[in-house]
Amino acid sequence: MRHKKSSESGSSPGNRPPTDLENSSIKKTNSELLDRRTFMAGAASVLGMFAVSSCSWQEFIQNNFQRMTKEEIEQTVERLRKEYKEKYGKDFVVGTEGPLEATLFGYALDIQRCIGCRKCVYACVEENNQSRDPQIQYIRVLRFKDGDMDLEHSTIYYDPEEVPEDGYYYMPVQCQHCANAPCTKVCPVRATWTERDGIVVVDYNWCIGCRYCMAACPYMGRWFNFAEPVIPAESINTVTHYLGNRPRMKNVVEKCTFCIQRVRVGKYPACVEVCPVGARKFGNLLDPDSEISKIIRNKRVFRLKSELNTQPKFYYFFAT
Amino acid sequence: MKSKYLILLLTALGIMGYCFSLADKSALAQSQDAEALKEIQAPTSEKEFPVPLRPLPKTITPCRACHGPEKDFPVNFKRREDLLVHTNIRLNHGGIRLWCLDCHHPDNRNYLLPLSDGKVIEFEQSYLLCGKCHGTIYRDWRDGIHGKRTGSWNGVKNYYLCVTCHDPHNPKFKPMAPMPPPKKPWTPVEVQARH
Repeated sequence: MRHKKSSESGSSPGNRPPTDLENSSIKKTNSELLDRRTFMAGAASVLGMFAVSSCSWQEFIQNNFQRMTKEEIEQTVERLRKEYKEKYGKDFVVGTEGPLEATLFGYALDIQRCIGCRKCVYACVEENNQSRDPQIQYIRVLRFKDGDMDLEHSTIYYDPEEVPEDGYYYMPVQCQHCANAPCTKVCPVRATWTERDGIVVVDYNWCIGCRYCMAACPYMGRWFNFAEPVIPAESINTVTHYLGNRPRMKNVVEKCTFCIQRVRVGKYPACVEVCPVGARKFGNLLDPDSEISKIIRNKRVFRLKSELNTQPKFYYFFAT
Repeated sequence: MKSKYLILLLTALGIMGYCFSLADKSALAQSQDAEALKEIQAPTSEKEFPVPLRPLPKTITPCRACHGPEKDFPVNFKRREDLLVHTNIRLNHGGIRLWCLDCHHPDNRNYLLPLSDGKVIEFEQSYLLCGKCHGTIYRDWRDGIHGKRTGSWNGVKNYYLCVTCHDPHNPKFKPMAPMPPPKKPWTPVEVQARH
């Protein structure tokens, strides 16, 4: 209806009465088909479209990952591998493994055990190819005074000789993989969504960089590439996933994916593997015998900012 | 007017077609041989929680070379602070309530004290002995709540025994140096001065 109405109202260029400027140009180009200036302007605009966007035409016409066919995904992966080979000089694996059957990932963190050593932060940076400069770290380790739970009073810049410090406790915060995720609702282009196994992912090629999701997230779980990410070629992780740790570009949002490239093939996330005190637990919420299910059943758990009804799948617990 | 738009469109199509032809030429099939991760198959104890066997240091094995009923060091049930041989061990576990023979088997030092069933405990199953005092922690560890596990969340796991992280003679977890804190966001100099 709306389309019809607008065409009837006569706003299309064909029905519009010509302005003075256009009248003059028509007079000029009566003899020729097209004058030189118009042609140059047109060609420059088309070329500029490719030059300014700094992406290949395949990237430009690429579809949303959820709507791609199998062939399109294969072609895209092939293109990405070629791009990364050129940039980093290494052969990359860009996985596209789908969610496993009867799996809903959950995470638990024992804040009584955490000693705030930040080993998880740097293991995550290495595993997930995060930019070293400007610095992006998916995990923030908050330090609280004993007896205080106000996030406003916490700090992430503590730097003592040794941890744990007396009179403080530590609480790492990362993407909480909410079941009712506000970040995915606000995305105007559906570049971020929740997978069937509960992982909130971003299609970096579809992201337009509006950062609405960052504004919507109450946990500051998302990061924006304000500049071209810088990763030393020798420390890049070449085992990647399309929705996970493949190298990102400028102007896209990225976030923790529970190491999707690892957990979809059965491995623990990198932060779980590296934690020296074993405070981090990961598993399948739908399996009643998994570690995470036993923790939720038997231990005192809480979820960060549960009053917001985001329903995180990231639980904090007290083991004793 | 219309002809102008038509020409623009044709120009755009031409450029795109040129791009297509370029890409087809360079679309070389790349071999997708990922790095085959070869895991070293270490011998493991075939127990409930299999762990790689860790041989004791050459200097103190076999225990029976020195310890035994008819050997140089007969069993002495008196609690002593200063040991003649194992000087590197300073027992700091359970205060003055514990000493060597509360965990180590008095007659056969290759094993640990038995449970109530009378069977001696091997060193690879030391968690059973730990569980005699630390029952709640032991049950948590058995369920994977206490302690650390690596490997596969839905498959074969690498287990960390109590003694992997806690030295049984000095079980308190040692403090460590933290990794560097994140960089502070850029702030103008005049704002920095105010803080």
